[in-house]
Formats: sequence, C-alpha cells, structure tokens
Amino acid sequence: MPKPRELRRRIKSVQSTRKITKTMELVATSKLKRAQDRVVAARPYAASLAEVMADLYSPDLAERFPLLRQPVAGMAGRRVALLLITANRGLCGAFNANLIREARARIEQLEPDAAVDLHLVGKKGVSYFKFTKRPVASQRIDIGDKPTAAHAAELVGPLMQQFETGVLDAVEVVFAQFKSAVSTPATTLRILPITPPRADGRSGARTVSYILKPSAEAILARLLPLYVQNQVYRALVETVAGFYGAQRTAMKNATDNAGDIIELLQRTYNRARQAQITQEIAEIVGGAEALRG
Amino acid sequence: MHVTVISPERAVFDGAADAVVAPAFDGQVGILPGHAPFMTLLGKGVLTVRAAGGSAASRFEVAGGFLQVVGDAVRVVADQVQTS
Repeated sequence: MPKPRELRRRIKSVQSTRKITKTMELVATSKLKRAQDRVVAARPYAASLAEVMADLYSPDLAERFPLLRQPVAGMAGRRVALLLITANRGLCGAFNANLIREARARIEQLEPDAAVDLHLVGKKGVSYFKFTKRPVASQRIDIGDKPTAAHAAELVGPLMQQFETGVLDAVEVVFAQFKSAVSTPATTLRILPITPPRADGRSGARTVSYILKPSAEAILARLLPLYVQNQVYRALVETVAGFYGAQRTAMKNATDNAGDIIELLQRTYNRARQAQITQEIAEIVGGAEALRG
Repeated sequence: MHVTVISPERAVFDGAADAVVAPAFDGQVGILPGHAPFMTLLGKGVLTVRAAGGSAASRFEVAGGFLQVVGDAVRVVADQVQTS
C-alpha cells in the first residue's frame, strides 16, 4: 500500500495538470471559433473564382495556358512538388502525425517514377523531416494562426513559375481538410495542373454572354494564378482550423482522463488513510492490553 | 441592384446599391442598375459603392481581381481590399 503522503502529492500534481489541460481546451475552443469563421469567410471568394472560371473556360483556350497543361501520362523523369502544411505546435493528438503520414504515403507513391521536391510549412513537419534527414526544397515556420492571401502567394508563386517553365510537372498540397471540428482528415490536393472547375448542371457553353474586357483569354490569364493561390490559402486556413479542432479534442480527453485518475488516486488515498487509522487504534489497544496484563 | 465586394479573406461589402464606380484595368467604369452582363479585370484604385437611397458611399482601395455584372448583381472580386 502506497503511503498517504505520496498519494496526496500525486493527486495535487494530477490536479494541476488537469487545470492546465482544461485551460488549453478553453483557449483552443475560442481560437477554433475564430479560425472556423475565417474558413467560412473565405468561401465567397473561392466560389466566385470557381464560378467565373467555369464560365470562361473552354477547351480550346486551355491549350494556350501553361497552368492548364495536363501532364503526359507515363513520362519519365517527372518532377513533382509536394507542399506539406502542418501546425507549428503539438498537443493536438495525432493531427500532425496524420499529415506527415499522408505526405510520406504520397511521396512513396510518386517516388518510383518522379522526383519529389518537398516544401514544408509548420514546425512539426520541418522537425520531422529534419529527423529523417530528407532533403527539403523549402521550409517556413512563420505562418501562424492567421494566414493571409499574401502568405499563400509567397508559397505558391515560385512553384507556379517553375511549373510554367516546365521544371515541375505537378504541384500537390497535403493539408488537413476542415470537415468539422472533430473531422479533419489529412488530404492531398493537386493544385497544378489546374483541374478546370466544371460549371455544374450546365453543359459547356456560357450561360450568359458577357461583354468581356479585355478578352476571355486575358481575364483567364489573370484569374488562373489567383485560383491556385486561393486553393493554397484555403489549405492554410483549413489546417489552422483543423489544428484547433484536434487540439480541443485532445485536451478534452486529457482533462477527462485526469479526472478519472484523480478519482482513482483519491479512493486509494482514502483507503490508505483508513488503514493507517485502523492500525493505530489496533496498536493503542494492543499497548493498553499489554500494560494491564 | 445587389453589390458584393469580396476579398480573399472575407466578403467586405454585401448589400443593395445605386451605383458602383470601379477602377478597371484601363480606367474607371461606372455601373448603374440595368447594366448588360459584363466582366472586366480590375486595376488599382478606389472603388466607390453608393448605397441604395443615395446617401452613404463606401470607398475601398482595391487592386487586382475582376468585376462581374450578371442580371441585377454586381460582384467585385479583388486581390486586395482596404476600406478607406
């Protein structure tokens, strides 16, 4: 039987741990709310871009834009850039591990017939690939809770250039898709070459005949990079929201577990205390008996 | 007519308006209700949206993106938007 004093010390320690995880849970909840708002706020822009591109897109225009150039199947010596977005911090369950696993699986899939350039965002991904000593094409850890469109542009700008000049044959992003606060599956999204968004429900032809200035081609030329940037921006925002969702869940579990442990320790402590008292009484009675005898 | 001004981060303006003056790539364009379907690239400059009723005008510094007029809706989608 452990000593009561020992038990009291452990109860105190678990109690303060619970206090910390409880606080972290609350903080994550409020940050999740804000991150979620940003995900929602980014939707109108993405929707408008996709809609307009679907309106303007026609297959004959597509051939003239390098960003839409589809790769030739089975070509040797391909080069693919993989952009992995992870969080800067941990204490979020398997969130980062899932992202890294997804990226590794994708690399293994691509590796036999393509060279993979790895671009990393977030401390967790950076430190993992530093640990495995895999060469990394670029890395940055300065994008925090509030990614901006400018961050996305900085990330994807060089990649778009390399894609246009033919150095890269594809660009993919691994990020946490924010389905809900409890479901944030790691997802791979191909952002280049652009998969033309389809006008849903409409058959090919433009529904409205616009006056276009300067021309459909010029507008498309400007919008395509924006579309790619926006996809990266959304990946960044969703990953942040996903991180806080995962952290909240992890911290809630930790708080619950701490509660269970405290309960168990408290019970053991009570029993030990009781046993000690009983023993003391027995000793006193025994002593008195001996004196009387 | 219904006007929305959208930046990558959020919708900046969403409401009814009487007139929109936007900096297109080759100069200012004015949009009044009943405009034909229209799509143009934006340049850099000041976007003015005069709210319905004719009193208040909202001004935004915008750069890049495009403007689209379909039916009775005007949509300004800009790379950068700053309320000025």
